[in-house]
Amino acid sequence: MRVTVERRLRQPRWLAVAVPAGSLVFAFGVAAIVLVATGHDPVSSYRQLFDAAFVSTGSLDQTLIAATPLAFTGLAAAAAFRMRIFNIGAEGQLYMGAITGAAAGLYLGGRGGPSAFVIAAMVVAGCAGGAAWASISGVFRAFFGTSEILTSLMLNYVAGYVLTYLIFQSESYWRQTKGFNATVFPTGKPLPSSAVWPGLTVHAQGGIVLPLGAGLAVLAAVVLWALYRRTRFGFEVQVLGDSAGAARYAGVRTRRKILAVMAISGAIAGLGGVSQDGDFRHALDGDPNGLQKQAYGYSGIVVAALGRYNPFAVVLIAFLIGGLDNAGNTLQGADFPSGLVGVIQGIILFSALGGELLVRHRVRVVRRASAVAAAPPAAAPEASP
Amino acid sequence: MNNSLVVALIASGVAYGTPLLFGALGELLAERSGVLNLGVEGMMLVGAVMGFWTVQRVHGGSALALVLAIVVAAVAGTAMAAIHAFLVITLRASQIVSGLALTIFAGAAGLSSYLGNDLNLSGLPASHAFHPVFPNSMQSWPIVGPIVFGQNPLVYASWVCVIAVAFYLARTRPGLNLRAVGEAPGAADAMGIDVVKYRYAHTLAGGAFAGIAGATVTLAITPQWVSGITGGAGWIAIALVIFAFWRPELCLVGAYFFGAMQALAPELQARNISLGPTELWTNSLPYAATVIVLVVVSSRGARRRLGAPAALGVPYVREEA
Amino acid sequence: MTRRKLALAAAAFVIAGAAAVLALGTSPGRAKSNAAFKVAWIYVGPHNDGGWSQAHDEGRQYVQKMLGSKVQTTYKENIAVGAQLQQTVASLVSQGYKMIFGTSYGFFDKALAAKYPNVLFEQATGTDVAKNLAEYFGRAEDTVFLSGMAAGAAAKCNTIGYVVAYPIPEVIRHANAFALGAQVMHPGVKVRLVWTNSWFDPAKEKKAAQSLVAAGACVLGQNVDSPATGQYAESQHIPWVGYDSDASKFAPKSWLTASVYNWGLYYLRRVKAAMNGTWKPGFYYGTINDGFTKLAPYGPGVSAKAKAAIAKKEKQLENGSWYEFQGPLYDQSGKLRVKKGVRMQVLKGGTNSLYGMNWLVKGVIGSPKG
Repeated sequence: MRVTVERRLRQPRWLAVAVPAGSLVFAFGVAAIVLVATGHDPVSSYRQLFDAAFVSTGSLDQTLIAATPLAFTGLAAAAAFRMRIFNIGAEGQLYMGAITGAAAGLYLGGRGGPSAFVIAAMVVAGCAGGAAWASISGVFRAFFGTSEILTSLMLNYVAGYVLTYLIFQSESYWRQTKGFNATVFPTGKPLPSSAVWPGLTVHAQGGIVLPLGAGLAVLAAVVLWALYRRTRFGFEVQVLGDSAGAARYAGVRTRRKILAVMAISGAIAGLGGVSQDGDFRHALDGDPNGLQKQAYGYSGIVVAALGRYNPFAVVLIAFLIGGLDNAGNTLQGADFPSGLVGVIQGIILFSALGGELLVRHRVRVVRRASAVAAAPPAAAPEASP
Repeated sequence: MNNSLVVALIASGVAYGTPLLFGALGELLAERSGVLNLGVEGMMLVGAVMGFWTVQRVHGGSALALVLAIVVAAVAGTAMAAIHAFLVITLRASQIVSGLALTIFAGAAGLSSYLGNDLNLSGLPASHAFHPVFPNSMQSWPIVGPIVFGQNPLVYASWVCVIAVAFYLARTRPGLNLRAVGEAPGAADAMGIDVVKYRYAHTLAGGAFAGIAGATVTLAITPQWVSGITGGAGWIAIALVIFAFWRPELCLVGAYFFGAMQALAPELQARNISLGPTELWTNSLPYAATVIVLVVVSSRGARRRLGAPAALGVPYVREEA
Repeated sequence: MTRRKLALAAAAFVIAGAAAVLALGTSPGRAKSNAAFKVAWIYVGPHNDGGWSQAHDEGRQYVQKMLGSKVQTTYKENIAVGAQLQQTVASLVSQGYKMIFGTSYGFFDKALAAKYPNVLFEQATGTDVAKNLAEYFGRAEDTVFLSGMAAGAAAKCNTIGYVVAYPIPEVIRHANAFALGAQVMHPGVKVRLVWTNSWFDPAKEKKAAQSLVAAGACVLGQNVDSPATGQYAESQHIPWVGYDSDASKFAPKSWLTASVYNWGLYYLRRVKAAMNGTWKPGFYYGTINDGFTKLAPYGPGVSAKAKAAIAKKEKQLENGSWYEFQGPLYDQSGKLRVKKGVRMQVLKGGTNSLYGMNWLVKGVIGSPKG
């Protein structure tokens, strides 16, 4: 008797929903065991989680704050990964977008209410910054074949050091140098009021503010979906992702696609960065204990994978993971060590990843009497990374 | 002479580069078999905390406690690697995502922190730690004194490991098979090499090395435990493997280079040498250098593999991922 | 076909069941203790870092111990400034916490305080004050000065190494106080600085310590949070002055003393005031007198002569007859910065105020810009 794993020819739609849901349930089950083993009541913990993420006053507000950057970095990863360009650099591209976006806001902003012109300029600048940073890896990949995984990963560090340098180790344009507070601790120059991004206040649950960035993320998802599903460009991207050989044979200009896709991916991540400036911090955050500790870029990759690179699913998953992050802060405390939050999140991720197998493959138990030789478990070139 | 900047930097580079070296050796083995493991930081942290726990709890001589601690750290790292191995080898999950998930699970906001807090490991120094073994007289010899004789036993162990891994890869049958597994798993399979077994074995070995790397930090460099004590060394180790072209001897050079870069800023400050935004470029230089090395190497290879993540004989991700 | 339907149904059932359990399950038991006053602390690092955050946590535990069941305390650790801080505060408020202590610069500002007018906020090391926002910190520089005296007395050579974090006024004034103290016991001694650009980074601090010793330091001190410098000092058999906590067990032979904060007394006062409605915002700057700061117990390397001198100076600081930041004070280039007899103020005086000090005193080697 042998257990074989065979690739499915078709992936039934219902599986694409049932498996993630099922793996989530499985994950919560395993995490419940961990909670019980460490002396916590799983039901009340989960209830607190759910409460803190979506139900209690202000929770949706906070979840949106956590989810917005994840949506951007998730979309950035999805945009690139769909073509099997593994852009791990969303973290650094986000920082760069924050830097260039803040520069635009500081330079062009002035008094008065939020100005459409200034905000549009910030968006353009942020996208440009992220796209430019990503293009370094893009150029190396397109012209030299250098792995974008590795170059983008390395550039994340460089971007982080640059960000810290601008606020902590220099008197740069972004640094606040006037006023008493400026001398007490290095901090970024606050954005002028016309560069502050507005939010839409919904009167529910004590007032939920929908940040402009969240709206832009949804818009970016729509644009990305349309780009990849409704244009020739997108069609070629998908072909390249699914079969590079076929694409080349068909005359698809690979180099240009690589450059374009990396730039698009970086631009979205950069937009996430400028959203951090405009929506939330209202200044450039160079604190190593601030933006750089949040690891939005890396979490975005996980979000994109869980959403299977579908832009709308990515936004939804970003919302859910944002809720989980938010709730983690709530659970944490004197009787709920912060380490446990990471453990639970890890278990959920592992389960989701493991569940992927069931979507793409069928597990069969083959009796030895059967002469059917199952395919060797090795070559499975279609598996997405 | 021994206090000169160069000698001090090299000696520091060796000392602080050792966890990087162990981590890189482990990741090198995993990647050679075709498995990219981005969870090195998480594995290091778990090894660090469990190694530290061992010395705090074991009653007995220093030597026994320390050796046991290294073993425990290696086992802990292996256990973490096993999760990743199972997910990506058997369940065909994405290697990148699984590695990141492992970092979240085991890292500074996860299991390692949980264990350390639950076992009350903070607030006390290590009961036993690795100290330099050669007498002070030898440690003061010009140049070789601080660089060679002033190091703790784990440094010497790392040298042995470099030689062993290099020998393994170049001169032994399993080592040569490993190269086949990483380069062309289909062909290796056809030759009768059990690809799955090799991948498992080397991914787990990678975890063991990562665990030892973590223990190096909590038992030799800064003998204490606090959440997140490795401070990103795992990520540097991943970069290091690439920087070293997946060759063990170059891992050693690279690790010491990265280590020396980290020690450069304080040394320059103490000697009143100001080179502008020192911190910025000493921190960034290793990463920027890695990028440059990568580009140079890929263009020399001049084979543009579309869909393949890297040009030069890089075995990972091409296959399953 | 049926298998598919079955699987779908099972999944839907499980999800529905889970949702029902979550929605209908009763609240966790702690809702019963409504009478307890809920107060929370937010730390920027781990609660057991052996340094800054741990000292605050000890203060929290003191409050919990002294007030018992009348108060319910909790803490949040590793909270980054920015989005995470916002979420943490929002969730604490929604859980009914009425008072929150933020232990790092940048946590609370007027905007945040205005957002939650019914919650009392207290911020350490900051400057914003509002109707429900108070600031607190204290004259650690006084005890840092005294610890500097111990370092100066123990120095057999002319250089003391001092590992420092960020080039900000708080750290600069501590470095200055340390140097001034050392110079009292060891006239002409130089204090050499190395900046690590981090409050807590054991490896970096050890590197800094190594470079200082290589540059000739025979005593080490620090204004950072981990005991790594001390462990290195112990391995080199040179004396060490710590910071933030009694870390003598990390370096039993090298340990001299350290300036330590005793946050508990302040916390207890403020929580009590909040509970009986007498809480008022303000800017609290604690002193040795009110127990805010003191010296940790001495190690074996502090001579009787040094102890006597330190005790004398401590008395003078307590009764106000002497102050280390009283002129004449010269900067590194020899220029007179504070005239004779003038005492530096906490907030007033621009770069001649404690909170604005961006210059180093004579005898300190290193750049105040980092």
